[in-house]
Amino acid sequence: MVAIVVATHGNLSEALIGTAKMIFGTMEHIAEVTFKPGEGIENLLDKYQSASDELGDDQVLFLVDLFGGSPYNAASRFVARKEGMDVVTGVNLPMLIEVLGKRLAGGSLEELVQTARTAGADGIKSFKEVFSHQKIANSAIEDEGDELG
Amino acid sequence: MIIKWLRIDSRLIHGQVANNWVNHVGAGTIIAANDGAAKDDLRKTLLLQVAPGRTKSYVMTIDKTARCYKNPSYKDLDVLLVVETPKDVLRLMDQGVEVTQVNVGGITFKEGMTLISEAVSVSPEDVEAFKELNKRGVKLILQQLPNTQASDFMNRLKSKNLI
Repeated sequence: MVAIVVATHGNLSEALIGTAKMIFGTMEHIAEVTFKPGEGIENLLDKYQSASDELGDDQVLFLVDLFGGSPYNAASRFVARKEGMDVVTGVNLPMLIEVLGKRLAGGSLEELVQTARTAGADGIKSFKEVFSHQKIANSAIEDEGDELG
Repeated sequence: MIIKWLRIDSRLIHGQVANNWVNHVGAGTIIAANDGAAKDDLRKTLLLQVAPGRTKSYVMTIDKTARCYKNPSYKDLDVLLVVETPKDVLRLMDQGVEVTQVNVGGITFKEGMTLISEAVSVSPEDVEAFKELNKRGVKLILQQLPNTQASDFMNRLKSKNLI
């Protein structure tokens, strides 16, 4: 199984995983890494190492918050010379949930990376934009007959 | 119509949870059978907005759902059926819909209800309807998400001294 490490500035990673449980249910082989004021890249590298040791998987996908931020910079250093690891930035709830679903369905690391990229972006929508393309229901007509609709 | 899964959930269709169940039970169609939602054009439109993209979704009254159930052109259709209350399940059965199992997923707490799990509360009226479903041989399962634990719903009502 591909392990997932969610790494962010502050407590966002803890909260994201806790919230994902509300929608996805129980999950294993996932760890959060926080990055607090006063910590540096070395702290993150240590945390990544112990998270990865504890998870015990050959493959690890890091989902981090900001491209160019410390969680990203440390993760890129951590995975650069390792096989079977990658980093995706911009972690959000749609991304995390879709990645968990894909992993449950047996997705490979490459497939999880692809899912993360598309789900992270596709989860962002404007209500008015979607609504303007929708056909408005008409219950007066639609409650008739025995055909679906 | 083949009812792959019948779920009681006050939120009817809500994005990701609907998605999880659809994938889990292998249904290509979601029907939210609910009179209030089906007769409220805005609510119906908004429920359909958040239905999973890969699935055909419908919001229909209980009566219309029962009529479609009996329409032979849908005899091979795999459906995830969602209703709001156990009473609605009884209404569907009374109109000829065959039900053997019900997943009690989520009933939102309102005043006068008893909380029986993290996601499920029951009113005295609900308890009566569940007793009737149980009497008719319907298996009642308490389960919130496909990968959270399932338990026997009637046992839970007993343990809360509600029956």
